[in-house]
Amino acid sequence: MIRIEPAPWESRWPDRLAIVVLLIGAVAMVGPFVWMLSTSLKLPEDQYARALIPPTITFENYGTIFDIMSFHVLLWNSLKIAVISTLGQLLTCSMAAFVFAIVRFPGRHVLFVVLLVTLMVPQQITAIPQFIIFKWLGLYGTQAPLYLPSFLGGAFGVFLMRQYFLTIPIELAEAARIDGASLMTIYWKIYLPLAKPALAAFAIFAFLFSWNDLFTALIYLPSDLEKTTLPVGLALFQTQYAGHWTIMMAAVLVSVAPIMIAFFIAQKHFIEGVALSGLK
Amino acid sequence: MRGNTRIALAALAVGLLAAMGTARAETEITYQLWGSPQEAEAWQKVATAFEAQHPDIKVKVEVNDWDSYWEKIRVLMAGGTPPDVFAMDAPLYPDWQSRGVLLNLQPYIDAEPGILDDIYPITLEAYKTKDGYFGLPRDFQTIVLYYNKDMFDAAGVGYPTADWSYDDFRKAAKQLTKDINGDGSIDQWGFWAEVVDPEPYWGAVVWSYGGDIVDPAAGKTLIGSEKAMQAWHFIADMWLEDKSMPTDEQLRQYGTDGFQAGIAAMGVSGHWSVPDYAPAKFKWAVAPVPKGPAGRVTSVNSAGFVIAKASKHPKEAWEFVKFAFGSTGQAELAKIGLAVPIRKSIAESPAYLDQASAKIDQQLFIDALQYAHLKPVFRGYEEWSAAVGDALNSAWTGTASVDDAIPEAVQNGDDVLAKNR
Amino acid sequence: MIAGLRPMGVEKLWVLLLLGPTLLGLALGALGSIFATFGLSLFRWDLLTPPVWAGLDNYIGLADDRMFLRSLGNTILFSALYVPLTIVCAMTVALLLNRRIHGVGLFRTLYFLPVISSPTAVGLLWTWIFAQDHGVLNGIITSLGGDPVRWLGPRMALYSVVIVNVWGAIGEGMIVFLAGLQAIPREHYEAAHIDGANAMQRLFYITLPAMAPSLFFQSVLSTIHAFQAFDYIYILTRVGNGNSSVPTLVFSIYRNGFRFFRMGDATAQAIVLTAIIFVFTLIYFRIQRRWEVPI
Repeated sequence: MIRIEPAPWESRWPDRLAIVVLLIGAVAMVGPFVWMLSTSLKLPEDQYARALIPPTITFENYGTIFDIMSFHVLLWNSLKIAVISTLGQLLTCSMAAFVFAIVRFPGRHVLFVVLLVTLMVPQQITAIPQFIIFKWLGLYGTQAPLYLPSFLGGAFGVFLMRQYFLTIPIELAEAARIDGASLMTIYWKIYLPLAKPALAAFAIFAFLFSWNDLFTALIYLPSDLEKTTLPVGLALFQTQYAGHWTIMMAAVLVSVAPIMIAFFIAQKHFIEGVALSGLK
Repeated sequence: MRGNTRIALAALAVGLLAAMGTARAETEITYQLWGSPQEAEAWQKVATAFEAQHPDIKVKVEVNDWDSYWEKIRVLMAGGTPPDVFAMDAPLYPDWQSRGVLLNLQPYIDAEPGILDDIYPITLEAYKTKDGYFGLPRDFQTIVLYYNKDMFDAAGVGYPTADWSYDDFRKAAKQLTKDINGDGSIDQWGFWAEVVDPEPYWGAVVWSYGGDIVDPAAGKTLIGSEKAMQAWHFIADMWLEDKSMPTDEQLRQYGTDGFQAGIAAMGVSGHWSVPDYAPAKFKWAVAPVPKGPAGRVTSVNSAGFVIAKASKHPKEAWEFVKFAFGSTGQAELAKIGLAVPIRKSIAESPAYLDQASAKIDQQLFIDALQYAHLKPVFRGYEEWSAAVGDALNSAWTGTASVDDAIPEAVQNGDDVLAKNR
Repeated sequence: MIAGLRPMGVEKLWVLLLLGPTLLGLALGALGSIFATFGLSLFRWDLLTPPVWAGLDNYIGLADDRMFLRSLGNTILFSALYVPLTIVCAMTVALLLNRRIHGVGLFRTLYFLPVISSPTAVGLLWTWIFAQDHGVLNGIITSLGGDPVRWLGPRMALYSVVIVNVWGAIGEGMIVFLAGLQAIPREHYEAAHIDGANAMQRLFYITLPAMAPSLFFQSVLSTIHAFQAFDYIYILTRVGNGNSSVPTLVFSIYRNGFRFFRMGDATAQAIVLTAIIFVFTLIYFRIQRRWEVPI
């Protein structure tokens, strides 16, 4: 665990300290998950065993959960909706964030603040007025309410991307403008590529938000175990299997796995950002 | 237009009309309930049997967990798209009925003379209003005592009998509380219970000491009366002094049900726990709840059917309710083993008594009706129960004594009752 | 003030196009949330019958509502602990991970794991960890000779709940801060080094000011999360029948709106919640403006 290229102004000592601290923290972060994994591999009668390595390792719990519920169908439904939502969010939020960061237009601050305020109202409260709006639009009973709002921007995404865009020197945009580039070109060809780390970060959050959304899926989708999404199915599952830790942990790990994979894919783009330190 | 296009369009039109035509012959109704994946399957079977008898009606069964279920029903109702038939818990029924969102079933019942004859009368009481029935019971629950035979044998304590008083019960619980593996902390308790909602435990205790729970019409919470306080002291002594019951924190290490987790020798519950306990590795049985100074009393409660007033297919919805309320439906439901059928002819038949769920004394749940009081049913029940529960909780966590917590509970309860007049 | 371009001619069209979807979403969102919520708070509504005008009664009633006051107190205390802890921990981790050490990718994944977990299941796991007799934490404490702690008992529950929420949020802040840290040009550090600045000075005069936008963002977000905290707390402090021993504002809102048929009260409480968060946001705005260093 040694540095790749130490910079001239940084000594090696803090690195070793950093690694120690990070390791301790990592144990706290990961510990519960290791325990979950360990429990999911235990036999049901061993579920309270205090050993990290199960006395008998078994995969039967994973089989059992698929017998109880068609998790694969739920996973697929959730995945479909999450991917569409993420794409919608990436596009529309970065577009709006670009305008907020770069363009001077009247009311820009007020508008931004209003956007922020929509983030502050708890979701359970906004559920009913939104339901009425969707019903009036004739979209009740379809999957549309789950991903359509993603194509209409969102306070979190606009906020995140705006903050990032603000760190890009405005001279770039001004120079391009002098060269005759339209706002769209500046957005698409200059700012967006430079924002890869922030886009990757946002993609994860957008995906996560859609993946974990229980309330919207509960209300708009029929509570049919073939048509609904993972969180709804998991809620039903969990109330039934409350004391059965081995099965529960298996179910939870199955529902978390796709996000972990998505995260792994996205976080590679962070590392690219490291190589691109500074501006070209 | 070119010839081909015209033909294609015509074919499309015919196809569409045909599709619409066949679609129109069938009405679809939705039935929503709270439950487990197994219940979903069982109800699907009932729905299929119903559809076989009524080929022009299609029933969609949707199941959610308790919290999600009520969230969804409320949003759908508020938004104007309620399900046709949905499940109702008896204590919550007045809140919905008094707000005019339920269909009055009285005309349909009057059109079918004798439909209510075969039903246990006490289960119907919760749904009666001065304008008639706005709902019908689906199944009922009585609270009985469950006990772990293995633990009793190991401790050399005699099984609960029909003569047990609460004092006998308390003594046995003490003897059954031990530190099994000798590590210094108790890991087996004599008894566990949820002591917030009146149904499983404290309601029955208060009643069997001669006290009462609530008088909604007068806006009075009655759990602070002298007789009720004796009951409270009994519960507190057994829990906080004898410590023969695990605290909430201790219980949660093992799950939500102490009996099922195998850490409590006795528990009180309704029939809904039978399928949960059936796969247990220990031998267990059921007994009537103990007798108090004023006799033996237990709780009876039911889940019911209601039809939304705004339903677009009330007649078809009623057909489904009638079916599930009738013999075939009830027999099918008895097989799941989660509740007791409200229809006497089914409950007293092998369909219920010899059910596959567990080989225990199923008759006991029916006999319990003879000494059961109805769980309180009134407008504002959930709010009242939460307000009382909040105060009770301070007693159970030790932040207040029972003598302080109960008056607070009464005050909270009365405030709620006043708000809900 | 933030610099910006003045749109001219055709550019105005582009502005509209780029901003369009968000504007539409904002209109619906603002309608659906802010106006509707505020509007509803002036009525008495049980979701089933038509709303009845109540004026400011719901708000006035809040002063007497014991459960609301208790929830408010809990939420404020919770947030006061949660927000600083999360930001400091997340920033520390991000700074540590911004160095070029092997295994950085693995660390990032590990620190992000808590964020992607579903609160319901992981919450249950934490009840196990905090368990009085058989929990992991007490196991460690007793083996070191101490007395077991009642982590979820009446006194400690709030703090235990803060720990769990911070645990679940560090990864989120870490990601945001990392993205921001990587935007800082290396040349700034080179120049500072040439000028003879040490690590602490670099941190306070270059890194943190450059991170102002991300810090602002994460502060606002953390505050929103803090005041809206619900899932973990509910699972860890659940007491029979849908009650909680550490009720928070959102819990109170949820109960009133979805259990007690009191949508008017619930929306009034939601407005109070929103107002508090809004005030904090304004405060953060002020602080950020004063701190902004043009790069």
